Amino acid sequence: MKRLHTLGAATVSVAAMLSAAPALAQSETFVVSWWGFNGDALQEIIIDPFQEMCDCEVIFETGNNADRLSRLQLRSGEGVDVIYLTDRFSQLGIELGLFQPVDRAQVPNIDNLYSFAQAPQGEYGPAYSIGRVGIVYNADEVETPITSWNDLWREDLAGAVSLPGITTTAGPMVVLRAGERAGVDAYADPDAAFAGVAEIQPNVLTNYNTGSEMINLFSTGEIAVSMAQDFALGRLQSAVPSVAWADLDDGDIATLNTINIASGSENVELAHQFLNFVLSAEIQQTLAERGVDAPVNTGVDLTEEQAAGWTYGDEMISSLNFVDYGPMNANLDDWINRWNEIFGM
Amino acid sequence: MKRLAGWMLSSPATLAVSLFLIIPVAATISVTFTAPGGVFAPYVEFFSSGFQRTVLWRTFEVAALTTIMALFFGLLTAYVVSRCPPWMKSVLIVLAVFPLLTGVVVRSFAWLIILGRNGVLNNTLEWLGVIERPMALLYSQTSVVIAMIYIFIPLMILVLIGVLENIPDDLLQASSSLGASPTATFVQIILPLATPGLIVGAVLVFTASFTSYATPHLLGGTRQMMMGTFLHQRAMVSFDWVSASTVAAIMVVVIVTTVLVMTRLAKRLNPMAS
Repeated sequence: MKRLHTLGAATVSVAAMLSAAPALAQSETFVVSWWGFNGDALQEIIIDPFQEMCDCEVIFETGNNADRLSRLQLRSGEGVDVIYLTDRFSQLGIELGLFQPVDRAQVPNIDNLYSFAQAPQGEYGPAYSIGRVGIVYNADEVETPITSWNDLWREDLAGAVSLPGITTTAGPMVVLRAGERAGVDAYADPDAAFAGVAEIQPNVLTNYNTGSEMINLFSTGEIAVSMAQDFALGRLQSAVPSVAWADLDDGDIATLNTINIASGSENVELAHQFLNFVLSAEIQQTLAERGVDAPVNTGVDLTEEQAAGWTYGDEMISSLNFVDYGPMNANLDDWINRWNEIFGM
Repeated sequence: MKRLAGWMLSSPATLAVSLFLIIPVAATISVTFTAPGGVFAPYVEFFSSGFQRTVLWRTFEVAALTTIMALFFGLLTAYVVSRCPPWMKSVLIVLAVFPLLTGVVVRSFAWLIILGRNGVLNNTLEWLGVIERPMALLYSQTSVVIAMIYIFIPLMILVLIGVLENIPDDLLQASSSLGASPTATFVQIILPLATPGLIVGAVLVFTASFTSYATPHLLGGTRQMMMGTFLHQRAMVSFDWVSASTVAAIMVVVIVTTVLVMTRLAKRLNPMAS
């Protein structure tokens, strides 16, 4: 009887090993680092077809920009093949030496992107999507509509504003706007720019670090105005329907989402194939139609309804202010200290 | 031979403590002494910033306030629980410990809901006619301390119940029969005998409050930055590991000093120790 049990156990083990064999037969494991939003849609639109193409197994690392970049830094650029980041953080990764240049010849679809997306940070990763940072406000609580960045300093908004923290993608843009309001270049004259930031302080209830935090602040009635990235607008309006995206005379600020190849990637050729795949007009079209990401491929054609909410079209894109993150990152440590002195004392 | 056997027996525990406690902390702190600019440069830089001194002081202040309030309310609660009949004691202990079964983030969120502009407290006060419009209660030191007390008081209660239960009833009866008032009995008998528990509870609550991250982050925001949230900012966003390690080292020094001072105090105040 005992022998029978042993034989049974051995049979089960062998069967289990055989069933796992197809997985083991796959030659490579390809690691993608991204935020984790829209996981199901991305699995269906990008990962499943790419796995079929490459005969590889795709696994993920998820988290916010800072966490994932920090993990990559701790592993000296290894353990990840491609990494999705906003342009502020990808610039930081470039400066930390965590990415390798992209061989444009292996990614022909880059030529089909809008010029701003082809090489936003030099020889490194292209942008695969574009977004905006602007002002959102609760139209039920703010009587006079917001039409300019300078309105953030309005006296009637005392204690009603939440700004993104200086360590988020949008945070340093507050400093740039404060500089413009004061008529100075924030990099050249940080004293004047931060004097402007200090002037806005009475209006600021708190700074937020994630889009969800900002939505919570609106939902609980703590704030009526905030700076926000457009990808959060849908969820924000579901939670508080009276929230509106301000139509700013001085234009929203562009944010680009990039994909880079990690310096320690073990699958460089696959990484280039992945980039080319994600940047193709077909994938970009599907992602936009399914509400995942705004396209940057010029071959994508969206109806008015499909384009609603996206940063899309020549008119809108030409009205945006683009940020050079090189000088911003060079000044960021000083800016963080100055910001903390104003909001954390 | 006997000494060797003692070493052999304690070696697994020593190894575990070294591997999991001492080496990681030492590795973290060592970075601060090899930074460019000199051995103590990161510390000089930390203390030369008014903001960073404020963060350290604020953290100390919040942790101390939380500890004092938790001591006060914890002692009262534990005393009542320890004097209850056994069945009721079990029920009360379960109720006291119940919040520990949920996460710190969930318990902090509960206070976001209570103290928010549209929260339970503001709504109630408005309904009662005490206030005309909602007050801004969140993102203040008070909201952080209130939430911290709520979060850490179960620790204090648990420690104190154990100590207070061990005070013999005979002593209290003797005190009372000799004419001592309840207050005199409390001050002269119960309080001194509960001192070891008070010290242990205070150390636990102070340490937990001093190093907490989620509660100050959620209820204090950037306006009430504390050492935990500041460390996170330096490490995960500025990628300045030397500065983050300096913050960690300062936190370790403050906590170790506090534990040593409290232990010494316990020895002095505890009549049973001498």
